[in-house]
Amino acid sequence: MEPEAVESATVGVEVVNSIRERTIAENSMVVLLQGLQGEVTTVDLRDESSARGLVLNVDAFMNIRLKDVLFLDRRGQTAQLQDLFITGRNVRYVHIPDHVDIMKTMESQLAKIHRVRNFAGEGGGRKEFGGRKK
Amino acid sequence: MVLVRNLRPPTEGVRHEEANTTAVLSGQQLGCGTLYVAETRLSWFDGSGMGFSLEYPSISLHAISRDVSAYPEEHLYVMVNGKLDLGFLDSSNGDEEEVITEIRFVPRDKASLESMFSAMCECQALHPDPDDEDSDNDFEGEEYNVEEYGHADVPTFYTCDEGLSSLTQEGQATLERLEGMLAQSVAQQYHMAGVRTEETKAEFEDGMEVDAAVAEAGQFEDADVEH
Repeated sequence: MEPEAVESATVGVEVVNSIRERTIAENSMVVLLQGLQGEVTTVDLRDESSARGLVLNVDAFMNIRLKDVLFLDRRGQTAQLQDLFITGRNVRYVHIPDHVDIMKTMESQLAKIHRVRNFAGEGGGRKEFGGRKK
Repeated sequence: MVLVRNLRPPTEGVRHEEANTTAVLSGQQLGCGTLYVAETRLSWFDGSGMGFSLEYPSISLHAISRDVSAYPEEHLYVMVNGKLDLGFLDSSNGDEEEVITEIRFVPRDKASLESMFSAMCECQALHPDPDDEDSDNDFEGEEYNVEEYGHADVPTFYTCDEGLSSLTQEGQATLERLEGMLAQSVAQQYHMAGVRTEETKAEFEDGMEVDAAVAEAGQFEDADVEH
């Protein structure tokens, strides 16, 4: 059983987050993007090209994996890509689909992070203070 | 960050190695060689020593292309941020400022594309953007594992009174318990005054030193509180 894995409800892709990634995500808007897993959306890149596809995964560094992508390069030429990995550094915009409730998405992502954290803390995992509680 | 050298292929941390892979650099065929997806860099060599290496931070994106209408063969597409110049390439593209370089790695075995792609994803994730302005990446919360990140950034250890105010309730309780244990063991020290030992008691007069070797077995049994 992998307590570190955060399940993705819509797409069956296992996402393993390190403690560091969870902390970074929890403190930034990237949690919203992480909540877009399973959605089809457009990502605009810094060099004016764009990619539209199904979001497979977004990590804490905003690296984005897309599937079944229509890629529009900066010259306006299109290409179909089966799998695409965009480095976080090169992302300019990520379009949020209209039907996505931003607050709910962020709340549910944060809840997932807290669930993983609490799982690791109760009984399993080590505590910093070995004392008894309440 | 874009390296062009006659390095030897990486031997450590190679997540994927694909032989019989043609490299096409900015539309120019470089011939057949081997692609090495290593944790430190992405390399391709043609066997005669000619090749190139890329640093992951310079890679903007990579993808699997199976669209034969866009490019006749299924391949791994890599977009590099910067200009990769191998010297012998004709880089006179006119006045256009080429700020990116497109590389296609065409393996003979198309079934390897998934592994090549995944290996690159893993390696890219090992190189997060160092220029990230979001430096507010503090490790807060109970989840923080001191053992894993034992560097100076996190002030987990206090050695003077200022630390006392940072103690949580639990921490305070632990401190009191430990101090109690210490006081108890010191009290035992004085109890031992009547026990015959080889060393003179005068050495331990300040009461702070507890010489475990002198104690009889079981002397501190009750000091062993529930752990």
